[in-house]
Amino acid sequence: MDSQWQIYQVFEKERADLPHRNAGSVHASDAEMALENARDVFVRRPNCLSLWVVPERAIFSKTVEELQDNAWRTEMQNTSAEESYLVFQKQGQTARETFVVHVGDVAANSPQQALERALETFDDKNVFVWWIVPERAIIKNEASDAPSMFEPAHWKKYRNHLSYPVEPIMRELKSAQEMLEE
Amino acid sequence: MPNNSLANKILSVADDSFILGHRNSEWAGHAPILEEDIAFANIALDELGHAQLWYELYQELTGAEPDRVIFFRSAAEWRNTQLVELPKGDWAFSMTRQFLFDVYENVSLERLVHSTNPRVQEIATKIRTEEIYHLRHTSNWVKRLGLGTDESHARMQRALDELWTYALQLFVPLENERELIAENVVPDLGILRDAWQEKTVTHLSASGLQIPENIDSVPNLRAEHTEHLAELLQDLQQVARSEKFGVEW
Amino acid sequence: MSEQEKLQEFEARIARGEKIEPGDWMPEEYRKQLIRMISQHAHSEIVGMLPEGAWITRAPTLRRKITLLAKVQDEGGHGQYLYHAAETLGATRAEMIDALLTGKAKYASVFNYPSLTWADMGMIGWLVDGAAIMNQTMLAHCSYGPYSRAMVRICTEETFHKKQGMEQVIKYARGTPPQKAMVQDALNRWWWPVLMMFGPHDSNSPNSAQLIRWGVKTKTNDELRQEFINKTAPDLQLLGLKIPDPALHYDEASDNWISGEIDWDEFWRVVKGDGPCNKERLAARRDAHENGAWVREALNAYAERFEGEG
Repeated sequence: MDSQWQIYQVFEKERADLPHRNAGSVHASDAEMALENARDVFVRRPNCLSLWVVPERAIFSKTVEELQDNAWRTEMQNTSAEESYLVFQKQGQTARETFVVHVGDVAANSPQQALERALETFDDKNVFVWWIVPERAIIKNEASDAPSMFEPAHWKKYRNHLSYPVEPIMRELKSAQEMLEE
Repeated sequence: MPNNSLANKILSVADDSFILGHRNSEWAGHAPILEEDIAFANIALDELGHAQLWYELYQELTGAEPDRVIFFRSAAEWRNTQLVELPKGDWAFSMTRQFLFDVYENVSLERLVHSTNPRVQEIATKIRTEEIYHLRHTSNWVKRLGLGTDESHARMQRALDELWTYALQLFVPLENERELIAENVVPDLGILRDAWQEKTVTHLSASGLQIPENIDSVPNLRAEHTEHLAELLQDLQQVARSEKFGVEW
Repeated sequence: MSEQEKLQEFEARIARGEKIEPGDWMPEEYRKQLIRMISQHAHSEIVGMLPEGAWITRAPTLRRKITLLAKVQDEGGHGQYLYHAAETLGATRAEMIDALLTGKAKYASVFNYPSLTWADMGMIGWLVDGAAIMNQTMLAHCSYGPYSRAMVRICTEETFHKKQGMEQVIKYARGTPPQKAMVQDALNRWWWPVLMMFGPHDSNSPNSAQLIRWGVKTKTNDELRQEFINKTAPDLQLLGLKIPDPALHYDEASDNWISGEIDWDEFWRVVKGDGPCNKERLAARRDAHENGAWVREALNAYAERFEGEG
């Protein structure tokens, strides 16, 4: 058996006006622990309002390059009932835009169909990566748990480099030395 | 002197958090899996942070600087319970200890947030948010290890058998603590013990663990320590004591 | 498309500044090199927890204790982000950890040197983290998406690692005579191992040219090393510390601080496993892994029984 448990992808929301975005992943033995591990790994610093975790195997992903091959369309299974899927995109290549972010939802009866519909619906941006996630696979933090999960990070000033003001001292030493040399 | 009783009480609370945080920090880099290495370090950091807040209040009451209190006191002057000074043991031992302590802190803090002392109230309100998360995390661990495998169950039971009596020391009142209770500065430890007992017994039983029945004699005085505290302090204080107090680090 | 055309398209994408994402076509060599680099980087963070972790219990003030614990914790977090990045290339964390524990994988040799006094905590923070940050700032622009994203996060978080170290070195360099002696001794021991962190000379770094062409690295080992020396040497000297390199001098023509030659025999000895602490570091990691086996199994067993996940 794998000594490292399973992988859950982690999505964090940093501000009320920003969507959830993929932060990375955690290993966990089950969903409940995955959410806690996500908090401990990714919320050591402030600015998290909400966390989601998703078992990695529940994610259907395609890069634009992969989409050039249409084989995935034929894998479509229309057997299951229609359900809600969340659509994520990577919309840019610069450091700020390079994360996979939540852009909206579609109803479909398979991940493949959800992607087809997403391609029709969310086509306003240059997209490099698509992720399709069934809503039922997402584990979200309870709103009532948010204070104990996210607020404490605001008090941890010791993780902020401004708590170690070394530049003024170095500047002072430098100007003292320059005065000495003159 | 109610102020003196309060100072003594605050020191005991600070010392418990500090020594527990110190012990837990020994896991950094050595925990069973990476995610939990990070999570348990968070708990250790929080305990040290709580100790800092309480030591600051202690300084307001007595004038004693936190670093002097921590780094220049000998074992007999420390007021922590023996529970927190015991070596970290295996993962079951550290986790069970943290759980027993978290329940105690939670039942205590949910009352301290109503303290008639505004500083106590303020600190308790801040700390409580973190403690709610600790308890959730350690409760989840206790349940999983208690019900996991035969080995994890046996290790948890062994840890509980060893720790239970030590944990009861948390509810032994200090001298003059009555005055503080009368003024609603701190809650009655008898009431806390009942609340603690109910919560721990419920969760431990649901986790397949037996509550020890034979209770050894509970350590009585917080001035009395096991040999482990002296060892801990030797390690803790060696760098600080290589210079006089007041030298900056 | 033929393999050759795929390679051309791949290199064209990189030239356009696009990031390669999991799922995209990539040359096998790109994948292999990245797994090697990222997993080594991850192992370095994890092993790097040990020399500093040993001093958490001995930190001389409450503030230093909290800062050091938070830093060591961050290193675990950064190892976690990096293992994640390598996983997206098809390596499993179990395999990578196994490679570390059996001595097959490498990690930054600097962590095979002992931390002997408290002043080492300052020196490691300033120099080791300072050197790491230079490398990581470069890698934040790397062509592989997940690696670059991990680096963006790590760079933001690590600023305090360096500054807390610098703060200490500044204090001790201007402190009591024993503090001054301690911090000078720390510099004497760490200076050269830190310069070695940047890797062999460009002339001895066979993978460098390809990694630069594929946008993994944008600067060579020697370029980064020179940048580090230029940035650090004047500050250390300003504090009255003596850098243990009699050949070190400022060259006005190139505006560079030129250092003496690194002891490459020592470098290769430590890389190959014969450093002062290689055995100790791996033993500590193995102990943690083996002592934690029952814990990991218990949680798996619980999940199988109660969560229907197994």
